[in-house]
Amino acid sequence: MDQKLWIEAFDTAVDAGMSWLTDHGGAVFDLLRAALEGAFDGLLAGLLLLPFWVLAGAVGLLAARSLGWKAGVAAGLGLALCQAIGLWPETLETLSLVIISVLLAVLVGVPLGVAAGYSPRLTRVLDPVLDLIQTLPPYIYLLPAIAFLGYGPATAIVATFIVAAPPVVRLSALGFRQTPVEFIELAAATGAKPLDAFLKIRVPFALPSVMAGINQSLMMAFGMVVIAGIVGSGGLGETIYGAIRKLDIALSVNAAIAIVILTIIIDRISQSIGPQTKEKA
Amino acid sequence: MTGTALFSPGAMVAPVIGWLNTNAHGLFNAISVAVEASLGLVEAALLVIPAPFMAALIMALVLWRQGRRMALLAAICMAVAGGAGLWVATMQTVALVTTSVVIAVATAFPLGILAARRPRLEAILRPVLDLMQTVPPWVYLIPAVMIFSLGKVPAMLATVIYGIPPMLRITTLAFKGVPRELVELGAASGATPLQTLTKIEIPSARKTLLLGLNQCILLSLAMVVLAGLVGAGGLGAEVTRGLTRMEMGLGLRSGLAIVAVAIFLDRISRKALE
Repeated sequence: MDQKLWIEAFDTAVDAGMSWLTDHGGAVFDLLRAALEGAFDGLLAGLLLLPFWVLAGAVGLLAARSLGWKAGVAAGLGLALCQAIGLWPETLETLSLVIISVLLAVLVGVPLGVAAGYSPRLTRVLDPVLDLIQTLPPYIYLLPAIAFLGYGPATAIVATFIVAAPPVVRLSALGFRQTPVEFIELAAATGAKPLDAFLKIRVPFALPSVMAGINQSLMMAFGMVVIAGIVGSGGLGETIYGAIRKLDIALSVNAAIAIVILTIIIDRISQSIGPQTKEKA
Repeated sequence: MTGTALFSPGAMVAPVIGWLNTNAHGLFNAISVAVEASLGLVEAALLVIPAPFMAALIMALVLWRQGRRMALLAAICMAVAGGAGLWVATMQTVALVTTSVVIAVATAFPLGILAARRPRLEAILRPVLDLMQTVPPWVYLIPAVMIFSLGKVPAMLATVIYGIPPMLRITTLAFKGVPRELVELGAASGATPLQTLTKIEIPSARKTLLLGLNQCILLSLAMVVLAGLVGAGGLGAEVTRGLTRMEMGLGLRSGLAIVAVAIFLDRISRKALE
């Protein structure tokens, strides 16, 4: 009986804490929410303007450029299939969520990773944090997000950002640490300015790793935005969640097909689009 | 504004499922019963002992096998789970994860060894495993729920299937990494294939295998938690309740309990590596 009272007290305290935070810090969260939803709405509106075959064709061309014409055709047809099964708007919503989340993850993660690549102390601080984020089941990141941002795409984006950032940070750091020593010495020997050394020597060597990080980030993001369907994120995730609850087999299969198609296309393209790992001579 | 559908692959699948449900009903029922039985057994085993004694028992076990620091970690994690009022849910989740991992490993381990020895099998398996690891975990829940409806059975089946690819891959990697000379040494000293396997290959591959087990456990936990959405019970269901009813206290408590379980399972399985 004791425990029940303690839990009730805990829950009440949490609710009180939430109220306090909303009263005092509400503006910050509202701003964040507005910004994220604005970005989402804007990107989505832009994508929806395009006729589906333009987007399908563009993606197909992109795939063809780095993977060959057969892959390009498959990619284009895959996207066209999403339209054909009547889930084009949802597909674009999911795509928008992924793009914004990964964009944020890259904007935050790459500089952080570069800094960590240069600073062993930062790495020592970051590693356990990243470890923790990557160990925990992604589902739970929805909890803090929904506490502060409520239902909607903003919550989905924040939770997805949390899940998508660690791979980018880790692989960027790895990439920048991997510049062969000879080249670093070359830069020093030729008296290159730090910025030049950075851009001309470090970056090219780090690029394959950074691209791998972005690929991993995209995959984690796809997993997460679908899970986020439960918080009203829109997109195929919400479709699947609703379909499963109603045991609507047809809709859930269609939505699943759309997601798998989208995931595979983005995965293959992002794996092949960057410079491939340089073989050391 | 859901677009006008030209056709619906899903609509074609529905009657197949309906047919399966009617005709293969016996088979699915048998699977359901088997799964629920084994799960029920593990759950009952974990819950039959009252929480405080169970916690003490686990702590003693960890202390014996892995030392004081790990036992302290175990104590803290269990205190969090119990203190959050979620001991039963935690045990349900642990039961689900354990049973799924055992089945996944039992399937993936032999297959992995086979793939390590037969390059053709590995070549066939690789694209399948690639695909399985690319698709989001959600996708495994869908067919499971369609056939077995909501509950623990689809959760466990989906988790098992989700856990097989990483375990299989790493098993293959581990066994391919065993130095040839060691295996030949075994053959030369007259060891039977079984002896070579148990006395030479497995110990040599041990570290990598345990890494695979660690991965399998964590991925299975993630899946089990997610399956709370489809009636799997346990901590996942509590998280879902917290999310859908915006009950922040419950959400925080179940979130903390999940963190405790994740850290516990992760550290314990990694410590076993040493």
